Amino acid sequence: MDVFFQQLINGLSLGGIYALIALGYTMVYGIIELINFAHGDVYTLGTFFSLGILTLLGVDSVVHGPALVGVLAITILGAMILCGLTGVIIERLAYRRLRNAPKLAPLITAIGMSFILENLMLYWRGPSPVPFPQVIPNPQFALGAVTVQAKQIIVVLLAVVLMIVLQTFVYNTRLGKAMRATAQDKDAAQLMGIDINTTIALTFLIGSALAGAAGFVSGMYYGSTWFFNGFAAGLKAFTAAVLGGIGNLAGAMLGGFLIGLIEAMTTQFISDQWSNVVVFSVLVLVLIFRPSGLLGESLPNKV
Amino acid sequence: MRLSSFSRVVLAAVLAAAVAGCSSSGTSSGAASSGASSGTIKIGIDLPLSGADASIGIPTQNGALLAIEQANKSGFAGGAFKLEASVLDDAVQGKHDPAAGAQNVQTFISDPAVLAMVGPFNSNVAKSEIPLTNDAGLAQISPSNTNDGLTIGDAAKKLRTAHPDVNTYFRVCTRDSKQGSALAQIAYQRLGFKKVFVIDDNETYGKGLADVFDASFRGLGGTVLGHEHITSNQVDFKSLLTKVKSLNPDAVFFGGNTSTGGGLIRRQMGDVGMAQTPFLGGDGISDAEFEKQAGDAANGAYMTVASPDVTKIPAAKSFISAYQARFKSSVGPYSANAYTAAKIEIAAIEKALKDNGGKMPTRADVLKNIASTANFDSPIGKIGFDANGDTTSPVLTLLHVVNGKTQVVDVIQLKS
Amino acid sequence: MRFIAPLTARLPPALRTQRAGTALAFSAALMLPFIGRNGAFTNFLADAGAFVLLALGLNIVVGFAGLLDLGYAAFFAIGSYSYAMLASPQFGIHLPFWVLLFVASAIAALFGILLGAPTLRLRGDYLAIVTLGFGEIVPQTFLNLSQWTGGPNGIGSLDQPVFFGYRFGFNPLPYYLMVLGLIALAAWLANNLRTSRLGRAWMAIREDELAAAHMGINTTSTKLAAFAMGASFSGLAGCALASKLQLVSPDQFMFNVSVFVLAMLVLGGMGNIPGVIVGSLILSALERFILPQTTNFMHGIGLNIDLTNSRFLIYGLILVMMMLFRPEGLIPSRQRKAELHAGQGDRRAAAAEGELLTETIR
Repeated sequence: MDVFFQQLINGLSLGGIYALIALGYTMVYGIIELINFAHGDVYTLGTFFSLGILTLLGVDSVVHGPALVGVLAITILGAMILCGLTGVIIERLAYRRLRNAPKLAPLITAIGMSFILENLMLYWRGPSPVPFPQVIPNPQFALGAVTVQAKQIIVVLLAVVLMIVLQTFVYNTRLGKAMRATAQDKDAAQLMGIDINTTIALTFLIGSALAGAAGFVSGMYYGSTWFFNGFAAGLKAFTAAVLGGIGNLAGAMLGGFLIGLIEAMTTQFISDQWSNVVVFSVLVLVLIFRPSGLLGESLPNKV
Repeated sequence: MRLSSFSRVVLAAVLAAAVAGCSSSGTSSGAASSGASSGTIKIGIDLPLSGADASIGIPTQNGALLAIEQANKSGFAGGAFKLEASVLDDAVQGKHDPAAGAQNVQTFISDPAVLAMVGPFNSNVAKSEIPLTNDAGLAQISPSNTNDGLTIGDAAKKLRTAHPDVNTYFRVCTRDSKQGSALAQIAYQRLGFKKVFVIDDNETYGKGLADVFDASFRGLGGTVLGHEHITSNQVDFKSLLTKVKSLNPDAVFFGGNTSTGGGLIRRQMGDVGMAQTPFLGGDGISDAEFEKQAGDAANGAYMTVASPDVTKIPAAKSFISAYQARFKSSVGPYSANAYTAAKIEIAAIEKALKDNGGKMPTRADVLKNIASTANFDSPIGKIGFDANGDTTSPVLTLLHVVNGKTQVVDVIQLKS
Repeated sequence: MRFIAPLTARLPPALRTQRAGTALAFSAALMLPFIGRNGAFTNFLADAGAFVLLALGLNIVVGFAGLLDLGYAAFFAIGSYSYAMLASPQFGIHLPFWVLLFVASAIAALFGILLGAPTLRLRGDYLAIVTLGFGEIVPQTFLNLSQWTGGPNGIGSLDQPVFFGYRFGFNPLPYYLMVLGLIALAAWLANNLRTSRLGRAWMAIREDELAAAHMGINTTSTKLAAFAMGASFSGLAGCALASKLQLVSPDQFMFNVSVFVLAMLVLGGMGNIPGVIVGSLILSALERFILPQTTNFMHGIGLNIDLTNSRFLIYGLILVMMMLFRPEGLIPSRQRKAELHAGQGDRRAAAAEGELLTETIR
């Protein structure tokens, strides 16, 4: 039974990372109905950017004391800003022109973009996993027979906090309202005087910034990063977004944690080699039987 | 007659293809035809030279190149023929790829100047190459393939259907059934592990080695607590390792390479609190990259290399210094193997030339000479091949990572 | 050319030149193996031909019906493994190759229907993701069920085709001719489908699914037919390539392959059969010849760049650039061009339509 709770912790930590990535997916899909395939790779870029910043700061292992706060702030913010900018650039270059084209076109472009990013990262840091500094001292806490690492707590906490911040932003600010309006009806929003280009760019900025945060967290959690990280993680995060209800922020969070748990439990009770198959089967099954997800409403087919 | 735009384009494409075809056949120009008394003779080299395997593939390639350069310098074939290396990479997007290996071999086969080849490095690549070299009668010596099914058993027969009575595949390293059973003995008897958990990367080499280890360990009286396969490109092993930890093993055995997850698994073992649990693996994790990726958790890992440790063999000293002088870096774990493989082929070619009166020999001649290699002096000991193409003197070197450094624990001579 | 005239005398001029052009291309293709002076070129042609078949199949799904299938390699895998399990020592079954062509394509088509039936009512982008998921599930399942599929080692020693007593052996030439025959068959089938009622229904769905449904087209069964037809082509390709390599293994069927085939379509011209063939040949040539030779050239002039590993970067660039600047592909079908530029302002759409008109008049 103890191992069940231990896997629960593992699953939630993994899920926290998926949740952060899923938030970005769900935001972009909510607003322009595009599955941004490159989003998973922006997450990997987040780990690479974080690594670069840490190297600049001269960090190669654990940081102690008050300097830790500074390092964390600079690295996380830096990664978020850089990834946010990347997202905005990608949208501007690849997706904006195709906003009115048949849906096939931006999807294909997104795949192409994903491949491009993956291969650029392959050139940047090479094909092997790259070690990532520990950064945070990692005390372990025992809860009965279960051990929880500080890092695991941080992952989950960060995911929840960022989601709350995001939710507040979307529902309590003018810009957030503009985003919701654009998501609901692009043309009407435009008629109401909302600059949809800026709004969409802002959505990409925020979504990609969240992926950047996920990137830092992942690097710190696993102690390494790899150019191809984003492919599987992105796909699973999208599964999470769909499971929770696409377009729904809390749903993305819920879906992320659920997928993490499913993965951990499958590994424990079935075997590691089937965990991917199970997760992707969840994707297929959810899309067949309940495409609106757990928290989403059934969207009528707009004529 | 006016062609529609469609036909124009297709015609253009066909012409372009024809041009490509002509230019590709250019690789065979300048080659000596059989029976000529001068020209170029080539040794093909097919190894993973880019991506994750490059850190071990490139030093291996350098070993072979050194042998070829030395041969030319010391008057190969009295200067009548020039010996060249034809080097091709079988890695695709950072990983060794069987289909790329097969393509490379087909390129070697269609070049009449290539009389023998060194490679491949990985067992799954060899599986796609052996049927081709068997059909073409092109001799190949691998410096590092260890999977059993390449030389013995039903699987090996199935790879040689074109000429079942001819063997074109040889290797200078110890095969997995020997490496795996030796590892099991090391684990059970020498290191005293009674219960282990086995993980493999679900690839030809890794799974093959792990399966042999699993069966041998059980045969000795040990308990295998579980045997799981990871997926390719997997990065999160915490759930798997949590499961392993809950079963309380004395050690964890990994069948696979650093490039397929070995280093990451060891690192995450540290994360889940298993840094004190020993880690055991084969030659797949014997590269420097393993320590880098496993980080602090690398300590406590044992691995074997399917060939002798050259730094301990006196005859190897001249090889090592020549290598370091030429390539300005230290030898890789398989450089000596590749050097030996190339030297064997060079000797076979020279003998065939002599027997042929100084005229360009055939691949069959060279193959015959390679197959009859016995007591060949090399940096890795005296090498001979048995009827299956395996080495007649299998050796295993046991390494242990202590304080971030790999130390040689022992060199074990196995029975042929 | 005088002997062609009576054969085609009764055809309208445009079709006459198209038929002649096709005959010309086919005869040229037959002569190709004899131009390259070594077997490596024929070998390449045979491999490339299998991918042309794949591209033709995906073209039906993506090009004709407008359904984005990102897991096409899964059907390729199913076709290949069907051949492998029924023509090898694995289970001791040795059905003849020509029978297995039908069997493999039927099995693949069956899986196309199995996947399509529950998912085809999904919106385009969701369908893409589902097919992507399927494309991940299938090779991993083949890898995991090692008792039946040989696991990572795959299944080897597959039978070689036998044609009226002549065994194909290791020479690539008979494989090339076989693949060429399959391509001719597939292209002919695809072309007939395109101009048939079903084909026009596909076009209607592609342009505006809702309107098509209101016009009385059963969109679900029409889309299902596209999936099944496309999958059957990949079954053919899988069978052909497996018989040539005499080996199947799971890493032949990863996501890269699906994207590779998609890039062929995007480059050549989605929905246009000759375009798709050309796109396929260009990318195969890029991988096998152009990139390695350019790399050799670069090394020769001292630049230490390796392009052979950049090919995925190049496919990505192709996808993005083509979609942004020329989504109809190098050799467009005029209809597609008009469709794809519809959203980009009146100027382009008008230009496309203008082209359509002038082409018809000429």
